[in-house]
Amino acid sequence: MQGIKKYLWYLTIIAAAALIVITFTPLVIPFGKHTPAVFGFPRTLWTGILISVGLVVLTAIGAILHRGSNRE
Amino acid sequence: MTKWIILFSILYLGLLVYISLRSKKKVKSPVDYIFAGSNIGSALGFMTFAATLFSTFTLMGMPDFFRINGVGAWIFLAVSDGALVFLIVWFGFHLRKKVSEKEFSGISSLLQSSFGNKIAGYVYFAGVFIFLIPYVAIQIRGVSIFLHATFPAFLPVWGWALAIVVIMLIYSEIGGLKAIMYADSFQGLILLTVIWIIAMNCLRWFDGFENMFAAVEKANAALLSVPGPEGLFNVQFLVASLLVIMLIPVTQPQLTTRIVVMKNLKETHKMAIGVGIFANLIIFPTVILGYYGAVRYPTESTADFIAKVLLFDQPGIVAALAIIGLVAAALSTSDSQIFALGTEFRSLISGPDRKVMLRTRLAIIFFGIAALVFSILSSDELVMLARVSFAGTALLAPMIFTAVFSGKRSGPMIPVATFACLVIFISSLLGWIPDQLFHIRMDLLLLLFLGVFSLLVNLFSRNETNEK
Repeated sequence: MQGIKKYLWYLTIIAAAALIVITFTPLVIPFGKHTPAVFGFPRTLWTGILISVGLVVLTAIGAILHRGSNRE
Repeated sequence: MTKWIILFSILYLGLLVYISLRSKKKVKSPVDYIFAGSNIGSALGFMTFAATLFSTFTLMGMPDFFRINGVGAWIFLAVSDGALVFLIVWFGFHLRKKVSEKEFSGISSLLQSSFGNKIAGYVYFAGVFIFLIPYVAIQIRGVSIFLHATFPAFLPVWGWALAIVVIMLIYSEIGGLKAIMYADSFQGLILLTVIWIIAMNCLRWFDGFENMFAAVEKANAALLSVPGPEGLFNVQFLVASLLVIMLIPVTQPQLTTRIVVMKNLKETHKMAIGVGIFANLIIFPTVILGYYGAVRYPTESTADFIAKVLLFDQPGIVAALAIIGLVAAALSTSDSQIFALGTEFRSLISGPDRKVMLRTRLAIIFFGIAALVFSILSSDELVMLARVSFAGTALLAPMIFTAVFSGKRSGPMIPVATFACLVIFISSLLGWIPDQLFHIRMDLLLLLFLGVFSLLVNLFSRNETNEK
C-alpha cells in the first residue's frame, strides 16, 4: 500500500511539473492571440484558471498521498 | 459614506483591541508570544497564511496590473500561487522534520546550526531585512496615499503611515503572534468580502462577463493576451516570477514560521489546500476590477483609478468597507513581516529569557520605524516593488534548502556565495551593473547559479555524522 502511495505521489509531482511547463507554452500563452474564447473568457485566462485550479487539486491529492500525511 | 467609515473604524479597532487583550491572557511564556504556542489548527493557519500572503498588493496592485498589462497577470500570480501551495506539501514535511530534530527559534538559528557557522544566520537576516522592509513600506505607503487622496484635509501621507505603524505595533507588542494570527484571519475575511462585493458591482456595470471581455477587446485587445500592451509578460519574466513567488514560503520568515507552528503535518497540508483555494478566490475578482478600469479609466493614474473603482463608483457602505479592507490588508501583511523579523533577530541573540524578550520587543519597534521611514521615501509601483522583494528573498532559497535537506555541514561557502549574489542583485537594482547578462534576467541567473553551486558544494562536503 505504501509502495503504491509513493508511486502515486511521484506521479502527482510529475503532473504538477507538467502543468507548470504547459503554462509557458503557446497552449496557454500564445503571444498576441486570445482565441478560442470560452464564455467570452480569453484563452490565456480560461486555460490559466484551469492550470491554477489544477495545481490546487494536485495539492489536495498530494496531501493525501504524501508519506508524512498520516504521521503526527 | 463618512458615518459608515466611523462605524466600521470603531468596530474594527475595537475588535483589534479585544483580540490583543484576549491573546495576551494566553501568553504564558516567550514561546507562546513568539510562536503562538506552536499549536495552530488548519482553519486559523490558512486564514493567517493567506492574509499574510495577500496584501494591499492584491487589492490595489493586481487590479492595476490587469488594467495596464492585461491577462498575463493571472499567470504571474495565480499560477505561481498554485505552484507555491504544492511546494508547501513537500517542503512543509521536510522543514517540520528538520525542526523537530533541533529546537526551533527561527530560520537564522536553524541555518547557523545546520551550516555550523554564524555567517549563514547573519546572511539570512541581512537578506530578509533588506528585502522585507521595503515590501512592508510599500504597503503602508500604498494605503497612506490612498487615504490621503480620499481625505486630503485630514492627515498628510506620513501621518496616515504613522497611524498604521502605531496600530500595528500596539497589537503585535501586546498579544504576540497569536494576536497577529487572529487579526489576520479577520482581516483576510474583510479583504475577500470587500473585493467580491466591488467586483460584482463592476461586473454589473458591464452586464456580464461576455460583455466585459468584448468591451476590453474594443478598448485595447492587447490586454486579452500576453505579453500585454507594454510587453511585460514575456516567458522569461513569467518563469522568473513563478520561481521567486513559489519560493516565498521557503524564504520569507513570516510564512516559514506559520508552517512550523501548525499543530501537525496534516493541518499544514489542509492549510496549503485552503491557501490555494483562497488564492484563486481573491485573485479572480481583481481581473474584473482591472478590466473595469481598462474600459472606464484607461489613462488615469494608479491612485486615481483605485480611488474611483474602490470608492467613488461604489455605494457609501461598500466604499467605507473598502477603506477598512485596504487598511486591514496592509496591516495583516506588515504586522506578520515585522514580527517575523523580530523573531529572526531573537534567534540570533542569547541570554536570559527576559532580556532576550525585551530586546526582541525593542527590535520589533525598530523594524516598524524602519518601515515607516522607508514608506515615506519609497516609490508607488506596488507590484513591481513587491516582485523585487520576492526576487531578493528567493536568492536565500538554495541556502535554506541545503540546511533543510542536507545532513552535511557544508561550511561557509554557500552563505558567502549567497551574500555575494545579494550584493550583485542589489547593485543591478541600483543600476550600478546591468540587470541582464547574456539576455538572461539577473534574478533568474543568480538563482540558477546559487542552485547549482549549492548542489555542488553539498556533493563534495563531509557528512555531519562522520564528522562527529
